[in-house]
Amino acid sequence: MQIFKNPNFDFMKFKFFAFGLSAIIILVGLLNMTIGKGINYGIDFAGGTLIRVIFKNPVPIDTIRSLLNSQGLGKSRIQEVGATQQEYIIRTLQLTGEDIQDELEAHEIIGNKVVDTLRPSEDKTNLEAGLLDLNSIDVQDLTELLPPELENRENIAQQIIDYRRVKGIIKSFEDLSTSLNLPPEALTALKEKTFLGNLAILSRETVGPQVGHDLRRKATQATIWALIGMLIYIGLRFKFAYGISAILTLAHDVLVTVGIFSLTNRELNLPVIAAILTIVGYSLNDTIVIFDRIRDNLRILRKDPLVKIINTSINQTLSRTIITSGTTLLTVIALFLFGGEVINDFAFTMIIGVLAGTYSSIYQSCAYLYFWNTIFKPKKGLRK
Amino acid sequence: MKKNLRWKIILVVVVIGLCLYLSYPPGEKIHLGLDLKGGMHLVLQVLTDDAINIETDQAILRLQEQLKKEEINFENITKGRLGEIILTSFDQEKEGQLRKIIDEYFRDWDSSFSGNKVTLKIKPGVATYLREQSVRQALETLRNRIDELGLTEPTIQRQGIAGDRIIVELPGVDNPERVKEIIKTTALLEWRLVIAGPAPDKETLLQKYGGELPPDLEILPGDPKRTQGGYYLVQRVSPVVGKDLRNARRSIDEWNNPAVAFTLSPDAGKRFYKFTSDHIGEPLAVVLDGKVQQVATIEDRIRDSGIIRGRFTQEEAEDIALVLRAGPLPATIKYLEERTIGPSLGADSIRKGLRATIIALLLVMGFMIFYYRVSGINAVVALILNIIILMGALSYFKATLTLPGIAGIILTIGMAVDANVLIFERIREELATGKNVLSAVSSGFSRAFRTILDANITTIIAAIFLFQFGTGAVKGFAVTLIIGITASMFTAVFVSRIIFDVYLGKKKKIKKLSI
Repeated sequence: MQIFKNPNFDFMKFKFFAFGLSAIIILVGLLNMTIGKGINYGIDFAGGTLIRVIFKNPVPIDTIRSLLNSQGLGKSRIQEVGATQQEYIIRTLQLTGEDIQDELEAHEIIGNKVVDTLRPSEDKTNLEAGLLDLNSIDVQDLTELLPPELENRENIAQQIIDYRRVKGIIKSFEDLSTSLNLPPEALTALKEKTFLGNLAILSRETVGPQVGHDLRRKATQATIWALIGMLIYIGLRFKFAYGISAILTLAHDVLVTVGIFSLTNRELNLPVIAAILTIVGYSLNDTIVIFDRIRDNLRILRKDPLVKIINTSINQTLSRTIITSGTTLLTVIALFLFGGEVINDFAFTMIIGVLAGTYSSIYQSCAYLYFWNTIFKPKKGLRK
Repeated sequence: MKKNLRWKIILVVVVIGLCLYLSYPPGEKIHLGLDLKGGMHLVLQVLTDDAINIETDQAILRLQEQLKKEEINFENITKGRLGEIILTSFDQEKEGQLRKIIDEYFRDWDSSFSGNKVTLKIKPGVATYLREQSVRQALETLRNRIDELGLTEPTIQRQGIAGDRIIVELPGVDNPERVKEIIKTTALLEWRLVIAGPAPDKETLLQKYGGELPPDLEILPGDPKRTQGGYYLVQRVSPVVGKDLRNARRSIDEWNNPAVAFTLSPDAGKRFYKFTSDHIGEPLAVVLDGKVQQVATIEDRIRDSGIIRGRFTQEEAEDIALVLRAGPLPATIKYLEERTIGPSLGADSIRKGLRATIIALLLVMGFMIFYYRVSGINAVVALILNIIILMGALSYFKATLTLPGIAGIILTIGMAVDANVLIFERIREELATGKNVLSAVSSGFSRAFRTILDANITTIIAAIFLFQFGTGAVKGFAVTLIIGITASMFTAVFVSRIIFDVYLGKKKKIKKLSI
């Protein structure tokens, strides 16, 4: 099977159209980032607290919002995970404290307040009555609380914790007891000394402002150095003109990806930067395959004009470009759909990046090469 | 079969066997990151300015002592900027003596005289040394404390070579708040004679001195949790300090309340004995991290052991004993970042990551077989071997698998077939020019190789920079990507070629290749 049988498209004909299209996308992105709503920095870069909670029973997002509102925490961002109305990610409002020293602690206090607000009064009464929350207890305490007559109480405690680990939160004593086959005395002890908290904290992350500041600097540096590294490599393996064209293509991909990303409501966090840097490597991969073919064809088809050689080269490698982008796209889509909430932004960025990278390898990189050659007229042309 | 080919096959079998051995069973051999197994990740900063300040304070005390001894009058000694001491209006007739004192006792300080004023500045080299020492000591102390907590597999590392940051990773922490408190406590224990107090505010204490604090005294607050609060006027020097402690443990006092029992080193015991003998009947404050914990009258001479009472809870007494045993931190510690991932979220991430990986793998394999038919099977075999090598390498290098790392594996699946695609497309082109199967395969491989090399090296360059810049989880991504792409060069180029050779070698006169 073959997608293209001897394709012969005139890609170079669309170079100005492609430039225009890219320019518009990049311009919209840049405008949005500068005078528009800006980049939505996540806690990795802006600092703040991110709390992920799970409820025992479904709680609608509006209830959570009004609860937080009533405590003056209305600016928190609330994101639902899945569609069960049980799991939420809450990012507390940003602080612009004068004293950076104490900002992390301030985040902490607000984080505690959020958890406290969401915890129903039923749980608080139970805690005050001296009961322990089975949904947050640790193994040692749980073991001690089981009747000592039970020979394998360490095992039982571990089983209960493992059960909780799989379920996220224990919903009822009956479910627990039937799935684990708990001995009746263990169940009695649990019912007597513990209660099932309505809320469990799945993760909690607090990042101080200094870390974000450093990270922004490091991310920019890493991206720039990666670009320089590639310029040098391609310059050595090919010619300077190819290196410059490749770097321009990469800059194009990064700008398009960041621009489109900024138009979504997603937060810029570390994994997104990782995705962008991967795009830098990946997009170059496509570009190099085409450049490699151009270099070959310049030797083989000496008499043809450059535009024709470029077109031939793109067409010859077209199947490969489409197939590899296709397989990579398949994998990142799988990651996007099935990989879970934590990695979702990464997968999304990769999808944009792969599409942008494929498009730019075909429509942008060679056009840059062509213009470099027409404007600067290097002595030996593009041959090495 | 050619002899050459047989050796190649043996090499591949050995490599794959080794990787399987290294990574089996994966549950034990693959080291999971905190985001997958749950735990605490802390980034701390050691405020090394503290070390300089402590040194400055001590130097001031020394200077006062020497000036008194040589009977040099002066108006004031103050701290200037960080690491600076200013002595004003000293008796200029005794400048010679003063210079001698500075030469003899303040070798670590640069001095500049102007009229009757001297400014002492700590030498830059000494300051750097003090900072370095304080980070090292902090690292050591944190190690001790975390060891005492009995957690499994903690990692404590310094970030960067000259950095003042420390990264602490603690898998499987049940009670993050307690751990954070234990790490942060400075745990500097002192005993100070109480001159006056408690008083509701500082002014009341200073009335007797005309509002001016005498140089050998200090005002300290009472710990609101353990005393009635308020302020105490105490002596500046402590006969013994935290590092004189030999041991500390949770104990009980005569009324069965939780307390902390301590034992001093023999040397400090002697000093403490003399000190308590001289001051029987006077009130003595136990000071922890600059806060008064308890004030008691010295009723008897104390040699080398005693207890501290302070209305502790059981757990507080336990924790204080723990930090005292591990020794004081040389400087204040500040949290820059803290992340706690619960084990159930980690388990969920593993499940979803695994699911996405398998789906991606099936999709790509399905496509390759659909598109390249029999040759596609070749690519599928290469892909499976690639993942086995990736797992083996992760185990061998003891690399940490994180959630972004799983993303890296998934991405590798997509990119690894790229080499196969390049080769297969070349072979198709060669076949289209009318070459026979054997030479088409052969030139397809050799012509595609250079392209594959260039394309992969650039991705690796990007990944290396990512590794350099990234922290924790993102590093895991860079690692899997680098290993995965490197392995793909081996599997897609070397192994695929062998498979073709074996396949084509059996059917001597093959006319058509299923590609």
